[in-house]
Amino acid sequence: MAFAENHINTDVPEKDVFALHFLQTLSNLSTQNPFSSPDKKSDRVKKIKKAAYVSMARAAGCTDRLWSRALLQRAAKRNNKIVRFPRRRKRVTWLRRRSNRRDPVEEAAAERLRNLVPGGGEMKTSKLMEETAHYIKCLSMQVKVMQCLVDGLSPK
Amino acid sequence: MDLTGLKWLQQQQQMVSPEFLQMLGSDGREELRRVETYLGKNIFDTIDGCISRTSSFQTEPVKNNEENRAVALLNKRKSEGKTETREKKKKKIKAEDETESSMKGKSNMSNTETSSDIHKQDYIHVRARRGEATDRHSLAERARREKISKKMKCLQDIVPGCNKVTGKAGMLDEIINYVQSLQQQVEFLSMKLSVLNPQLEFHINELSMMADLRSFPLHQQGSLDYSVMNSNQTTSLVVKNDAFSSWDIHSQCPYNNLRTDPVSNFFSLK
Repeated sequence: MAFAENHINTDVPEKDVFALHFLQTLSNLSTQNPFSSPDKKSDRVKKIKKAAYVSMARAAGCTDRLWSRALLQRAAKRNNKIVRFPRRRKRVTWLRRRSNRRDPVEEAAAERLRNLVPGGGEMKTSKLMEETAHYIKCLSMQVKVMQCLVDGLSPK
Repeated sequence: MDLTGLKWLQQQQQMVSPEFLQMLGSDGREELRRVETYLGKNIFDTIDGCISRTSSFQTEPVKNNEENRAVALLNKRKSEGKTETREKKKKKIKAEDETESSMKGKSNMSNTETSSDIHKQDYIHVRARRGEATDRHSLAERARREKISKKMKCLQDIVPGCNKVTGKAGMLDEIINYVQSLQQQVEFLSMKLSVLNPQLEFHINELSMMADLRSFPLHQQGSLDYSVMNSNQTTSLVVKNDAFSSWDIHSQCPYNNLRTDPVSNFFSLK
């Protein structure tokens, strides 16, 4: 990376913050359901995965980012349904329909990206890029934390 | 193509008649001289540039006469139609990234070298590229596209392996694959965690583990080297299910089955 500094702010907190949040969320997991014993693997895995995402969203700046907000909202709902509001049609005016100025290939790829990044359905493409950058950084940080945890827990 | 362009340029130099010079006025004459010197000097260096710039004039529906074309070249800003579009641009551009456009050329025509000495107006001009319209909406569209491409360049720095692919589509595909692989990694690691801790008992032991984590490569700035970290782990992962067996097979890099080279480059970053 020649220029590490972007004009977009994609700063991400240190690993410690992520680790702390993750461990806190995980410790909450065991105290959450004292009666139901989650014997099924898929449930356990889902819980841990959800804990990972939620802790990542909290660590990376709770409401500072669109994706973290959307993630936390989605997690707060019980049914885990992705509510995707239709994109604001502000940009497509009658004047713009004259010529297809949107690159169709780019827009298709942007659509796929929207499906991946939480909260992407409502963003304009430029905002989506910013959010994706921050999301990628946070995801990689979370992966590092989880990997370190797994390494620490695994029997040597 | 080159020959015809060259001939046209030579014609331009010869076409300047004295009446034409009078018409221009003193400033115009100066500018025309500058045009000539520019065209004369750099004819072989910037021939392509010249052609690209001058050929755009032919698309302009101003006038067909070559003299008038030269007039249009220099005096374009004086015409009324231009002031209108310029004023529109003024309003538009001030709302946009000012530093960006202030670094660009001065006139709407793409012949920036010749008209670069035209006195500055109060507002910011944006250089029109070859063959592109200069009306307000396409300008805004272009600015928007440039914004997006700028952000994509930032993304390119973050996502490894993007440098090799050129073009927006390929880069976006790479980015999408990277995000997907990261999410799959999260899922994989959460599976591992669930196996290692079947009771989901993460209590103070784990919090003290954090102290161990600090001494661990937690502060390592580089990314994970999976070939090192996973070598002792594949045996520890108890395969209870068929669902897990596919994860266990590849000892070095568990994501080998996903894709080939670009992905494995992700995980063995320096």
